[in-house]
Amino acid sequence: MSTTISLGSSVRSEWIKFRSVRSTLWGLITLVILTIGIGVLVSFAVRGHWSHASFRDRITFDPVNTSLSGTLFAQFAVGVIGALFVSNEYANKTIRTSLSAMPRRMTFAFGKITVLVVSLFLITEAVCIIAFLAGQSVLSGVTPTGSLGNASDLRAVLSAGVYLTLLSLLGLALGLILRHTSWAISVFVSLLLILPLLVFLLPSNWQNDVSKYLPANLGQSMTSTTVAAHSFAPWTAMIILVVYVAGLLTAGLMLLVSRDV
Amino acid sequence: MIHIEHLTKRYGDVTAINDLSFDVRAGVVTGFLGPNGSGKSTTMRVILGLDAPSKGTATINGKAYADLKSPLREVGALLDAKAVHPGRSARNHLLSLAASNKIKASRVDEVLEIVGLSGVAKKRAGDFSLGMGQRLGIAAAILGDPQILLFDEPVNGLDPEGIRWVRDLFRSLANEGRTVFVSSHLMSEMALTADHLVVIGRGHLITQGSVAELTANAKSTVYVRSSNPNGLADALRSKKFEVSANNEQSLSVIGATSDEVGELAHELGITILELTPERASLEEAFMELTADEVEYSGSPSTKKAVTA
Repeated sequence: MSTTISLGSSVRSEWIKFRSVRSTLWGLITLVILTIGIGVLVSFAVRGHWSHASFRDRITFDPVNTSLSGTLFAQFAVGVIGALFVSNEYANKTIRTSLSAMPRRMTFAFGKITVLVVSLFLITEAVCIIAFLAGQSVLSGVTPTGSLGNASDLRAVLSAGVYLTLLSLLGLALGLILRHTSWAISVFVSLLLILPLLVFLLPSNWQNDVSKYLPANLGQSMTSTTVAAHSFAPWTAMIILVVYVAGLLTAGLMLLVSRDV
Repeated sequence: MIHIEHLTKRYGDVTAINDLSFDVRAGVVTGFLGPNGSGKSTTMRVILGLDAPSKGTATINGKAYADLKSPLREVGALLDAKAVHPGRSARNHLLSLAASNKIKASRVDEVLEIVGLSGVAKKRAGDFSLGMGQRLGIAAAILGDPQILLFDEPVNGLDPEGIRWVRDLFRSLANEGRTVFVSSHLMSEMALTADHLVVIGRGHLITQGSVAELTANAKSTVYVRSSNPNGLADALRSKKFEVSANNEQSLSVIGATSDEVGELAHELGITILELTPERASLEEAFMELTADEVEYSGSPSTKKAVTA
């Protein structure tokens, strides 16, 4: 066995770190409860009001997106998981131990990125499929329902997992750039909650053009089976979100490589 | 061997290290001594490639730290005993480090045994005392069985038994031919632990040499009790020795040998009742050296009067 450090050894090291702290476990439990729980609750609410729903509501109803409503809340859990994975190292100064064990900082960072992306992708996809199936079983018999056998429904469900995985990476990128847990989480929450409020203050004819670029709205576009007015098609939305995350991640990596720790 | 050459590190306007050059050799314990804020930790971070030098170089066996193939097998370091995730167990902390350098998991249990933490290996590191934290930090440093070891203030928080253990550990690591570099702001600790000393103040090298050389260079003091202390004091002062009266009968003479004091008393017909040379301690040597440093960088002249 070669003793030279590599991406593989970085991944193994980061995997031990990832699974050996409680914050990861709590973050994942929150993710599961919010995604499935809120999806089921919203589906029950829709089912209960279906008989009173307007014709317009009925024809625009998206059973897939409805069962995935929990992702709007779970996105904060994954952001915190991603941010903490890096900012924790700065908070307790283990970043110095980590980087003296692994002085090639890119290898260190890609170990973290790999562990986060793979574990969150697997978990969020599973959770989103469960949320979808649970939601459809609540709706079934009353409203139209979706099916994983339907290509656009399957795409929307899998995109929900991709969306959550991308947001966890966004949290990690903010952790790399800001290096403080509280700052990283504040900025993350601001991007999802405060930015839409700022857009709301813009002249109304601009709002439609700008708001479709907001991360949360890109997520909605990705997890819808129909293209709503003033929003991107699912694949376009995904590409734009990937560009955001890649941009912030690149900035974070450049800072990691150039800054003293 | 660690080789530091013309190393300068600035943080904005603050110069933490200024043109520092020295070598740390294998087979001895080298103490890195300086007051708080003199640049010891910064130097260690630069050696480990964590902070980039503004000028100059720090190399490990001729290589930059970042170019080491398997860093933990070549260099072990303890920078901060509290640098552990408080929620992670000691064992998992070490396992993650071991995995990064492809070190076997069995070695983790071995080092936990060596530092005496086997019993608490699965406990959260956040519940550790500072002394246990130091032991965990030392376990991490020796994990890869490296030839070069760096310890930043390793005795902080250790109980007397722990301090003794650390001292013996450093000694045996050096006896095995390893390079052991230990920083401290405690002169008394370094006098017991180190063979060789590198002394810095305000980021400059003040001096380096063996502990014996450094104490030998310090001004010696002679304690003398005599029948005529006033007469003897005047005679000594006329010979430019610094004299202070301790009480009615006794004097302390700085910079003189006991021979010189005894012969002078004989010439004057003064009876010597007691004559004791007092060897300068490393602490005194250190104070003298840092005082010179202050004088050198142009501080108020009152310092000059004291040391001259």
